[in-house]
Parts: sequence; structure tokens; C-alpha cells
Amino acid sequence: MKLFVSEGNPHCLKVLAVLELTGVKCDVQHVNHEEKVVPFLSRTVLPALLLPTEDYLFSTNAICQYLSETSGLGTGEDSSQWLEWEATELQPAVMQALHMMVLHGKAAHASQALEGPLGYLEQSLSKRNMLFLTAETVAVTDVILWAALYPVLTGSLLQAGELKAVRAWFERVNLLPACETALQKVFKSKELDVLKGFLHKQPNPLIQQKDNQSCN
Amino acid sequence: MALRELSSLEKSLGLKKSNKYSTQGDGKVPVLQNSKGPALVGLVTIAGHLVREAKSPELLGRTAEQRAVVQQWLEYRVTRVDKCPKEEVKVVLKELNEYLQDKVYLAGNNFTLADTLMYYGLHGIVVSLAIQEKEQYLNVTRWFDHIQHYPGVRHHLPPVVVLRNRVYPGIHH
Repeated sequence: MKLFVSEGNPHCLKVLAVLELTGVKCDVQHVNHEEKVVPFLSRTVLPALLLPTEDYLFSTNAICQYLSETSGLGTGEDSSQWLEWEATELQPAVMQALHMMVLHGKAAHASQALEGPLGYLEQSLSKRNMLFLTAETVAVTDVILWAALYPVLTGSLLQAGELKAVRAWFERVNLLPACETALQKVFKSKELDVLKGFLHKQPNPLIQQKDNQSCN
Repeated sequence: MALRELSSLEKSLGLKKSNKYSTQGDGKVPVLQNSKGPALVGLVTIAGHLVREAKSPELLGRTAEQRAVVQQWLEYRVTRVDKCPKEEVKVVLKELNEYLQDKVYLAGNNFTLADTLMYYGLHGIVVSLAIQEKEQYLNVTRWFDHIQHYPGVRHHLPPVVVLRNRVYPGIHH
């Protein structure tokens, strides 16, 4: 089993934190952003996991689910819904926000892109009133969402004064040793500039969104 | 679209009781009100729930590796195939075509939920392909034809004609 990761790639933060949390033994190989690892994909997609069956996993969340299943930790009952929401609603908003913020320096636009998903998360967390997303103890789902939000919730990028429950939850997950270790590997300098190389290689989320609107 | 798809899935799974669905948000995300707990939101989440209700967990994969591959293609369906911008359609078809080169089903040798939902998601795209394009993406077409003939899958969708022999072989094209 071999995991391919690259530095300054926010998706790699997810898998490395989950790898630390689950303690699964896995060969980790650092490659650059352009390296084509998954043979059948047209674009470079990282992280990628080469399974013992010789199949490639290119979905970050599928890799995380696989690591937690093989470790015996599991992903918890409500995880499917959170992971689907993360992939379909949160991730496009985060990518758009990072694009606006890191490449164009427009913080206000970045906050606007995140308003919907963060509001939903705030509502869910305060309604349930538990320490973590699905239970009173931390689950893999928490680490996945923490990693997705790390670049936008850390530092001064976002003024999240209203998001009390999100902030409190985020800080709780942030304290996990697994998260700290993964952070050191992906965001060495802890500055968002480290993401520039990665973001330049991604399709422009703003153009994609415009197209979506016009053909639907 | 997603709602008809879910009711077809219920039938193909042999579920007797059909559920009522609603949608939320601009993306018309399907919602299932659940008497046992909070509402379920999202196509993949609800489909997974139906498979478990039907006591067919093998449709989500038989091994940890297969379960991960199934999840991956279910995610690909809702993130890449759905709301796919026009110029991205070819990228999606090319990727699937390369992937399916040496596979019978998306998760290898076993039919899974990933095949059903990918088939529903690709139907509109495959219907509009010209014959030459169907030949260009031959592995996708072969897989698609296989799935549309898989017992109980097609339901609400019209069959797509797929020629089993090439019309444009090599230089005669």
C-alpha cells in the first residue's frame, strides 16, 4: 500500500491526519504537484492511494474511509452524509474561497463563498450540542472536516465571530496530536502562501461555477 | 432527476414500500424524512441507506478495498458527472473509458451501487453521443450497455441503442 502526497496541498492534510489518527502502516511518497500518479485520470490528482489490489484511490474521502475501515476505527454512522456534504457543498466553496484569497487577495469574496456551508455547519453543531460532529468523542469525520476547513479557519483569513459552535469544535479537533503532526508535514510554514503552487495547478473554480449556472 | 432515480433504485432493490422524497437548496439535493431519526440528505447517502434497508450490503462492496472503490465512484458521480460543464463531458468520458478498459464493472468483477448510479448519471450524456463518439469511448459504451441490460436496473430510462459491431472500422472511416 502506497500513499502519494504533495506539499502545500490541502487535500493531503486530510489523509495524513487520518493516517496519524488511525495508525495504519503505509508507505508515504512525496511527489510534486504535476506528478501524474493515477494512470486513468486526465489531470493530476493528489493524494492518491495504491491499494494492495493494485487499484488506485483518487478520492481523498474514499482514502480516509479506507484507512479508518482497515484500522478498525470505522467512520461512524452519520459519516456518509457529512462526507457527501463535504465533497459536494463544502469543498467547492473552500476551493473558491482559497482561490479568491490566496491568488487574488480578496478576503471579502472568500468569506462570502463560505457563508452558506459554514452557516449550515454552525446550525448543525449548535442543534446537536455535542463535543464533536457525530458523538461526544472524536471520529474520522471530524478530522476530515477539520482538514477541509483548516486553510480558511486558521489565522485571520476569516472573521468568524458569529460562528461560535464551529470555532469551538474546530479548536477541539485542532488540539489532536494527529492533526498537529499532519500540519507540520503539509503546511510547514503555516502561511497560506504555501498553497499557491497547488492552487495554480487547479482548474479555476470561478470559471467552472459560471459554466454550471449557464447550462443548468 | 435524482428523485426518479431513487424510486427506480428502490424497485431494482426489491423494496416493497416506496419512500417520499423532497429536495433542498439550489442544487435540488434529495432529502428522505426518516421515521427512525433525522432526515437523510444527499443522493449517495440515501442510496446507501436503501441498499442497507434491502439487506444487500454486497452492493456497497464485498471487501474494504472494494467498498472504498465503490465510494470513490459514487463521489465521482455526484461531484464530476452531475452539473458537468459542457467542455468537461469529454474529460469525464475519457477518464471512465480508460478506467473501464480492463474492467467489467466499476468495482472490478462485481456489480455494485456505483454501476447503477453512474449509469443513471451518464444516461443523458450517452444518449446524445453520435455513433462515432460511442466508438471513441468504446469501453464506456460496452459497460453502459451491460448495465442497462442488467436485471432490474433500467426502469425509468429509455434504452440506448448500442451497436455491437463497429460501423467505422479503421481506415474505412
